[in-house]
Amino acid sequence: MTGRGFLVSQPSTSSNWRGKSGAKQLQSAINAAAFQKEWFQQIRRRVEAGEPCALVGADAPQEILRAMDIPYIVNQWWASVVSSRQQAPRYLGLMNARGYQPDLCAYCSLAFASTLDPDPTNAPWGGLPKISLGIPDLACDSQMKIFGLWNQEHGVPIYPFERTMLVDPSPMNWWDKNRHDWEELYQPYRLDLMVEELKGLVTFLEVTTGRTLSETKLKRIMDLVNEQEEYSKLTRDLIAETVPAPISIVDSIPSVMIPQWHRGAEWAVNAAKMFYEEVKDKVARGEAVCANEKIRLMWIGRGLWFNTSFYQHFQEKYGGVFVWSFYLALAADGYARYGDDPLRTLAARYTNLTEGLNVPPWNAAWYVNEAKRNKIRAAVHLASSDNCLDRGAYFVNKALEDAGIPVFEIESNNVDSRTWNDEEMTKRFSEFLETRVL
Amino acid sequence: MEAGSWRRNTELSPLDLLKLNYRERERAAREWQARGGQVVGYLGADVPEELLIAAGFFPLRITGDPVSLTPFADKYVQRHFNPQARSILNRLLDGTYRFLDHLVIANSAEATVRVFVYLREIKRIEPRRDIPDFYFFEFLHTKFHRNAQYNRDRVRDLKKQLETWSGKPISDVALRDAIAVCNENRKLLAQVAQLRIESRISGVDALAIIGPSMGMPKNDHNKLVRELLHHADQLAPRPGARLFIVGSQLDRAWFYEIVESCGAIIVAEDSDWGNRAFDTLVDQTIAPLDAIADRHFFKAPSPYKSTVQERVEYCVRKAVEANAEGVIFFLLNGEDPPAWDYPEQKRALESRGIRTLCLDHQAYAPGDTSELKARIEASVQTLGTRQ
Repeated sequence: MTGRGFLVSQPSTSSNWRGKSGAKQLQSAINAAAFQKEWFQQIRRRVEAGEPCALVGADAPQEILRAMDIPYIVNQWWASVVSSRQQAPRYLGLMNARGYQPDLCAYCSLAFASTLDPDPTNAPWGGLPKISLGIPDLACDSQMKIFGLWNQEHGVPIYPFERTMLVDPSPMNWWDKNRHDWEELYQPYRLDLMVEELKGLVTFLEVTTGRTLSETKLKRIMDLVNEQEEYSKLTRDLIAETVPAPISIVDSIPSVMIPQWHRGAEWAVNAAKMFYEEVKDKVARGEAVCANEKIRLMWIGRGLWFNTSFYQHFQEKYGGVFVWSFYLALAADGYARYGDDPLRTLAARYTNLTEGLNVPPWNAAWYVNEAKRNKIRAAVHLASSDNCLDRGAYFVNKALEDAGIPVFEIESNNVDSRTWNDEEMTKRFSEFLETRVL
Repeated sequence: MEAGSWRRNTELSPLDLLKLNYRERERAAREWQARGGQVVGYLGADVPEELLIAAGFFPLRITGDPVSLTPFADKYVQRHFNPQARSILNRLLDGTYRFLDHLVIANSAEATVRVFVYLREIKRIEPRRDIPDFYFFEFLHTKFHRNAQYNRDRVRDLKKQLETWSGKPISDVALRDAIAVCNENRKLLAQVAQLRIESRISGVDALAIIGPSMGMPKNDHNKLVRELLHHADQLAPRPGARLFIVGSQLDRAWFYEIVESCGAIIVAEDSDWGNRAFDTLVDQTIAPLDAIADRHFFKAPSPYKSTVQERVEYCVRKAVEANAEGVIFFLLNGEDPPAWDYPEQKRALESRGIRTLCLDHQAYAPGDTSELKARIEASVQTLGTRQ
């Protein structure tokens, strides 16, 4: 307990504890998971046949790679796969054995750690294909280090994207402005830089892969991304206004995130559409994920990939349903951009993508707005236990508490199960619900 | 503004005066202000002092304070927040820097960006008058030409901001003069670095010589260092195992004091509070603003904004140039970037026969240092055995 709500440091759990995946109900989530596995095997086959493969940061402009038909894998997505297969402790142990401290950023280094395994036969999904390009977004000082290690260990050429700073965060309601009014929302000089960075990326890819960017194709991809994200907005709005909630984040996260990793593809638009229609049908039929819903909860922070069953644990006893995570909400509010110039419009997507998620005051204003929209009664805030990603937890929590939403702050790691004590966390969160919410 | 009058009528040696200003970091700035001058604090190693000087300000580099608790910052920051930045934020909130007329914060490290974000938000939701007026100076570090151009534009923006603060334009002559005096300072400190390689100045004394260059009028500092160098032939070589320090960028000398009490001498370091503070000159043959931007863009790679490979190359080269027998990694708890560099730096150094000692998860405050001292003594003795 600290002066800013609950802060729980995690002792290590017993060595034989294994997390569990939450039980999915939506066909769109099941379909997306199946598609992802097949897509990944396809990537592996293409790379084995001699094609290049890029490892990209979650907030690097993947649309360019799609337009150039260059296979790519998102660094943090692969970390989530490794973690959900309970392999993170083993891989991170290999990093530690090389002299890297155990509390360095696990989320962003797990993919690199997985390449150190001398016996890749145990790797999830057959393991990463051979990575031939690296495109990090320099969201923190560790990114350049980690991708530099890819370069040193595997000879992977790197093209980094700088992260410029929004100095004047006004107006606060960025989510109402960024679809069309992005030129005034973000400073033009920052957009100018990002356009130049994108041009540099195109040249880098053209030189390293021998493929050429088609602007016509890029324009089409930009349209498809907007179409996809408008479906995400419809879904978010529908879940927000429906009580009891038709689904929880156990379904919404895979249903939105797997298409997000394929944004700009026809499949992704169809998947987002199917997700929306499935939720709409559930609402029309009056189906609820928890008929006894009493407390609508929001999960702030990254997914707890090794133990998504935690999200469902509080439904039966407390009627506590996690209806909100940033994954669907950011798809709804963070990505769509409309404009005539595809490169500048793409620049407008990435210049400030995570400001609304991670940097006060924009993130705090958005979380409060989303809490109100979704009729949230309480929030869990997963703050990273390593030094990766500081979203200004004090300011986010204060804004929510000031808006009447109690916050339970957990300090832990979202991919490294070694830091998680499930029994203790379940007990503490139950106490929180009983003392501060019910 | 004239240089400080404190120099007159004092029996203190140049080194003692430098040490005094190292201990009392705000001393000279407060004297400057008492005589009617304005003081601009700066946070981060990328803020160009030349511009602040040319605008007529006293540039004062912001530091933490290891011996003070951090209750004001603790309220806002995460448990794992960089402890040095935590201390700095605390001092910006506890009134230590209330006397500053303005503050410039650069994105030299992720931690300084966070300090900026925290300050901005604290000022927004808890209106307070004791936080100085501040400006964010953005500087890109990846080595692309477009970033160099972007930086030149940001330096021009900073110039405009300083002109707004001072109420008068910065002349080209003032800029060139400021560059000249800062370059002279760097050249003098390079001579100090050479004396360290000859073991004639200790690491503790070196920090006390270098540190005030970021907290004294440059002309005054130049004068003191010149006087000190003038008598350099009287400095006898010191015995001790020759060590190089790498890792977190310590703004205080307590760790050096412990190391050098163990029979070692720190002959150089990879720190922007040490030798990296003066390792690159501003080109005086090109347009001054461009030269200032380029100096920071092309200077030695910092632990925060460079790849592991760049850091390995730099660290090994500097350790070898200093003829170091051993290297100590001092890694603050909660500061990841230098910890990422460590394993490869260690391998590269040891492959050249340079022994290493890693002190990781270190506190910013000295506290009980007996265990730390024992580890260093054991390591130094090992080097002695080799000799």
